[in-house]
Amino acid sequence: MSSLQGYVDRRVLLILQDGRAIIGVLSGYDQKSNIVLSDSKERVYSIDDGVEEIPLGLYLVKGDMIILIGEIDEERDSTIDLSTIHADPIPPIRY
Amino acid sequence: MLIFSVFKTLTDQRVTVELKNDLSITGTLKSVDQFLNIRLDAIEVSDQARHPHMMAVKNCFIRGSVVRYVQLPAEHVDTQLLEDATRREAASQTKR
Amino acid sequence: MDTSAGIQEPFDLIRLSLSERVFVKLRGDRELTGILHAYDGHMNLILSEVEETIMLVDGADSGPSGQGIVNVTKRKMEMLFVRGDGVILVSPPSRT
Repeated sequence: MSSLQGYVDRRVLLILQDGRAIIGVLSGYDQKSNIVLSDSKERVYSIDDGVEEIPLGLYLVKGDMIILIGEIDEERDSTIDLSTIHADPIPPIRY
Repeated sequence: MLIFSVFKTLTDQRVTVELKNDLSITGTLKSVDQFLNIRLDAIEVSDQARHPHMMAVKNCFIRGSVVRYVQLPAEHVDTQLLEDATRREAASQTKR
Repeated sequence: MDTSAGIQEPFDLIRLSLSERVFVKLRGDRELTGILHAYDGHMNLILSEVEETIMLVDGADSGPSGQGIVNVTKRKMEMLFVRGDGVILVSPPSRT
């Protein structure tokens, strides 16, 4: 993956192969797009309860597992009350 | 190589990328690489109610291998040019 | 003249289908028809005037004779890139 430079020190959302959503500050990456996130947490979605945030701290995610990297608009993110968001988790990738 | 070139000509156009997890993301194509990894700006997720997960995301990078489809702006695709280029590439492949 | 004369290898069949309507079978119980404008060695495709058919089987192991109810949904797209890793078969235009 070529252009991760622009995401360094930004708060990002990673979506993984199995559908997990992890947010954190992208503090480093390498050639294979392995990614180090600081101050990271998993956002667990469920249709019945609101979103639950599980703190993960400093986290290394293997590049192979990552299907999407998104830059978070922190201002917009802070206006969202996660407890009111009811949604199914993102489905896993099926090849 | 051919498809990579096609995507490069569509830079700055709006496209809709559908992933193999059924997520559909529309955005402005900012860049593409040889693996067909895609960078989109000003993104919108289709069916926001069902997929609120990316509400606060403004741009994203998508791994090429998880793409199922990309819907392209037809008015910016020269189909005659594509067919000629495809025939040329096919010819060069068989000569090898 | 034998119409198969120009065909020495599988990809020749696809090459001769350029600018024709083709039928494409994909993983995940999906099928497409569309006009083929480009392809490459990975079977990445670019099609126009695409109609997609998705087959969803409900309760596959319930009901008599183990048959589920098949829900078919259709969708049209103007210009579509299809990633080759999902392609099972490409079939030339039907002469009907």
